[in-house]
Amino acid sequence: MNRCRPRLSSKRSQRGFTLLEVIVALTITAMVLGSLFALAAGSKQLAFRSGQSLSTAIQARAKVNFAFLDDEYAQVEIAIDDERFRIRSEEYLDPVARKTEPSIYKFQHFEVIDERTDETVSGTRWIKLELAE
Amino acid sequence: MKTLLGQQSAQRGFTLIEIILSLALTAMLLSLLSTGMYGVMNDWESDTSALDERLDETIAILQLERALQGAFPHSYRDDESLGRYVYFQGADESLSWVSAVSPQRSGGLTAWQLESVNNEGVYLKLAPAMSDNPSPRLENAEPRLLLPHYTARFSYLYEELDFSKRWRDDWPGQELAVLPLAVHIRLTPVDARNTGDLELDIVARIRANEHRSIRPAFPGSGFSNPFAPSPQLGGQ
Repeated sequence: MNRCRPRLSSKRSQRGFTLLEVIVALTITAMVLGSLFALAAGSKQLAFRSGQSLSTAIQARAKVNFAFLDDEYAQVEIAIDDERFRIRSEEYLDPVARKTEPSIYKFQHFEVIDERTDETVSGTRWIKLELAE
Repeated sequence: MKTLLGQQSAQRGFTLIEIILSLALTAMLLSLLSTGMYGVMNDWESDTSALDERLDETIAILQLERALQGAFPHSYRDDESLGRYVYFQGADESLSWVSAVSPQRSGGLTAWQLESVNNEGVYLKLAPAMSDNPSPRLENAEPRLLLPHYTARFSYLYEELDFSKRWRDDWPGQELAVLPLAVHIRLTPVDARNTGDLELDIVARIRANEHRSIRPAFPGSGFSNPFAPSPQLGGQ
């Protein structure tokens, strides 16, 4: 064996990987695998959160429906009874072209402004008038 | 020849121990990896199925709300007493009603029946309402587990003489001859599978309360039903 060594090293430099190469390769593999696992964990969290927000949405819907039971004309002021939200009334919608009978309701644009986050939700609501038009 | 042979022998392979060691190491690594992947995939599967379940639940709840909002004062003639009755049987753990909403979008009215079975869930039965009493058809209908892991409590809204609104936990439509103003279903999870499970509510306002000819016999409404005999007479 000792006899062979010089010939081997001189004729063919059949070296193995160096430690550095192995470490680099392992690191790359670990990074790829780690990102895969992180992806799975992220999706788990996402699934959990979306499940929760579905429940929250159902609860919010029930709350809104409860509020509308007391308030038949869906007045936003009564339904949203919170100082955090400011409700701004905008202009009325154009009246319908043809009415079969006078109506005491009108459509109105409105905006609900969240004072804390400055988010705005706009919509249309019924407004009950004193006199039929 | 000699040099060639020497070269040949110099280029020796791995020893058996080396191969065994490397194979064992590789096998260990692979098995670790596969168990890890298995766990991840299992997790993934359970997450997606939980999310699917939650989505189904939500759709079912929304559909129930629509069906309750579309409740219709369906009337039928009782073969024995020959009286005309409004069909709406509300108890605190079950509810049967006729709705203009049908899940298959088929024409005509559909009779819906919800029943809360302890520790199992809420079962739904569906049957066409036709023009007679849909109760026998509902009894023969195939029950479907609509909301597993939930128990339901029903309550019904009515208006007192002084216009105050109250909830009661039963609504015999045959006696009252009118539909409630609203139905409230409270869904309580049977076992808290995880902390994400909350109590859910379904609140549906019913607009079409009164039958076009049967007057309400509700104590609060001040009317009596001229078509239906009183419950005492009906038994005779």
